[in-house]
Amino acid sequence: MPEPATDSAPEPTSELPDLNPVIHGKLRLALLSLLSSVEEAEFTWLRAKTNSTDGNLGAQLLKLEEAGYVEVEKKFVLRKPQTIYRMTQIGRQALTDYVQALKQLLGAAINA
Amino acid sequence: MIPSFDEQELAKRELTARLSLIETMIAEGRQTTESWGWTFVLWGIAYYVAIAWATWGHSNFAWPVTMIAASLVTAFAASRMGGNQPETTIGRAIGAIWIGVGASLFILLLSASIAGRMDQQTFIAVVGGMLGAANAASSIILKWGAQFACALVWWATAVVACFSSANQSSIVFLVAIFLGQIVFGVYMMLSEARERRTHERKSGAAHA
Repeated sequence: MPEPATDSAPEPTSELPDLNPVIHGKLRLALLSLLSSVEEAEFTWLRAKTNSTDGNLGAQLLKLEEAGYVEVEKKFVLRKPQTIYRMTQIGRQALTDYVQALKQLLGAAINA
Repeated sequence: MIPSFDEQELAKRELTARLSLIETMIAEGRQTTESWGWTFVLWGIAYYVAIAWATWGHSNFAWPVTMIAASLVTAFAASRMGGNQPETTIGRAIGAIWIGVGASLFILLLSASIAGRMDQQTFIAVVGGMLGAANAASSIILKWGAQFACALVWWATAVVACFSSANQSSIVFLVAIFLGQIVFGVYMMLSEARERRTHERKSGAAHA
């Protein structure tokens, strides 16, 4: 028998989780979400998808790289430089944990 | 200090917006803006060129030269057009199917032709069967009925070629190229253009 819809929502707990501050930034969250759906992506594609500036995008990607959530590869294709970004396993786990925490907090907020 | 109702509502909205951003961006990442309809049209034209050259030019080089030229044009144009497109598992799976089938067809048909073990009907049956397999596999991955119809056209061609004369199978082959390559390619290009327009309208931004 299917579970009632209300049971599928995360149970509010007495101790609410903290949201990962590295991921919580809006652009960084958008970047990690984008990278989670592709194997690898080029800088210009990420810029177009997030509609951000070169400087801001570079800075946010650097923070994700420093946290170990993305890895970067620079190469030349048809004599043009390309910067390729890939999500790491740590980054994927961090995004999963973030979504879980978000759902838990939302569950608590709805039940408050 | 206990947060006020307004503060709680604001926090709830903020969290919901974050969850919505994740969903939107994952959907954006999966949304492909790659265009492949032109390759079907290109290869359809290449088949016609090869057939015309082989028929009226009586050249043994017609098929291998045309196929190598079409492969080079496809590879060059694809690298120019899809320069900053991200690599996805689905994209690689479909690419693998077509590269595998293309290489198999080239090696098999070239070897059989050189060895003199290939008549016209067998040639058409092999091409029809292999292109049917590639289209069917792509359509199943993409869950795209129109491409499966394309696979049916090629499989039907393969079956007819086995039971018909050289002239009949040639006519069926020409019709199959028109339907499976030219018509389907143009239909695909129109669908891709429509999808791009829709996507451009829907596309959102995520500033920091």
